[in-house]
Amino acid sequence: MAYNFNSVTVLVVDDNIPMLQITKSLLLTFGVGNVLTAKDGEAAFELFQRYDPDLIITDWMMRPMDGITLAKKIRRDKTAKNPYVPIILMTGFSEKHRIFEARDEGITEILVKPFKARDLYKRLFQIIEKPRQFVRSENFFGPDRRRNNGEYQGPRRRQEDVAKMFPEGRVEMSHATKKDLENARKHLDEVRSKAGIAENEEITITDYNIEVDFVEAKDDDDNNNE
Amino acid sequence: MTQSDNKPAATHYNQKPIRRAEFIKPPNILKSKVGSGGLSQSILSKAQDLLENNTVDFRPLGEMYLNQLQEGIDLSAIDLDSPEEDRHGEKNIRQMLYPSMQLKANGGMFHYDLVTIIGDKLVQFLEVIERPDLEALEIVQAFHTTIRAVLLGQIQGSGGRYGNELVQALDDACYRYFIKYPDNIDPHKR
Repeated sequence: MAYNFNSVTVLVVDDNIPMLQITKSLLLTFGVGNVLTAKDGEAAFELFQRYDPDLIITDWMMRPMDGITLAKKIRRDKTAKNPYVPIILMTGFSEKHRIFEARDEGITEILVKPFKARDLYKRLFQIIEKPRQFVRSENFFGPDRRRNNGEYQGPRRRQEDVAKMFPEGRVEMSHATKKDLENARKHLDEVRSKAGIAENEEITITDYNIEVDFVEAKDDDDNNNE
Repeated sequence: MTQSDNKPAATHYNQKPIRRAEFIKPPNILKSKVGSGGLSQSILSKAQDLLENNTVDFRPLGEMYLNQLQEGIDLSAIDLDSPEEDRHGEKNIRQMLYPSMQLKANGGMFHYDLVTIIGDKLVQFLEVIERPDLEALEIVQAFHTTIRAVLLGQIQGSGGRYGNELVQALDDACYRYFIKYPDNIDPHKR
């Protein structure tokens, strides 16, 4: 079994005609049944209203209407046929603040140019297999801007976390983990030397009076009351 | 007991919040149409071949973006004659930034990878400067001249050692500029 894009309609928007043709050809190679094309946001919105495409792939910089304005119109215009349509923005910008700007206007995925065929496929795959839920709030309507992959990104400190970091067959330690282990070992050596415990002796905390230097973190309330 | 001694109210002062975000799960129309299983490696390879073998001549397009970039440089240079309070620094940076981004974006799509590499450095430079002063404009002009030379010389791909040297020279110029003018970095983009 493989994806069958035969009944899918994609609208591609770009004022750069060679780029428009290349994107169209890529989609046809993927097997997309119907590829509509437009040279700017205004023409694209008309096609969007008329043909209700399943996906829009648009360039950012175009005149008279650019890709971001098109996305904004699709998400916010009350007459828009399908405000939930996935929108992929093609752009040469890869700076964080530009990506956030696009995301804040309702773009679903960003495809940074120049791209490979696989990059375009990855964005399609993401939209098909891991679609974003939509958020409607006072100031925003669009795909959820958080990408929750369920993976905790903070420091790992428990035994089971360490076990997760070294699944079967994977013996390489990250630089950060190595550093953490080194630090832990140093602290343990300090504790041993302060308490006069030999390296092979087991530590029982209640048996020794160990002084540990540490700085107590102040919580926000304490700071506010000062 | 002062008000600040109180713990923050866990339930918004015991009132229900009025403005809530509503989460909507729209029907996954695409998924229902395409089914599952992904695309085969052979289709992806075929698509990649199509990209790599496209015969589009990027030079006319590249020249168009270079002309737009030159207009931006010229406008910025004229603007420098105006009193500081009348200058349009941000607008002028945008005039140079957009064609630079297009060169970066499209060069590599049409076999001119070196244009993308140089364009990327130019975009990074323009993204962080706060004002387009004379020396900044000289650097942008150097980028323009280099990209033009790449297009005229039809240097496709990354340009090998020659390409690396060009990029390194431009990169060094940017570093020297930022060492000389550390205050001309937009604090929001640092």
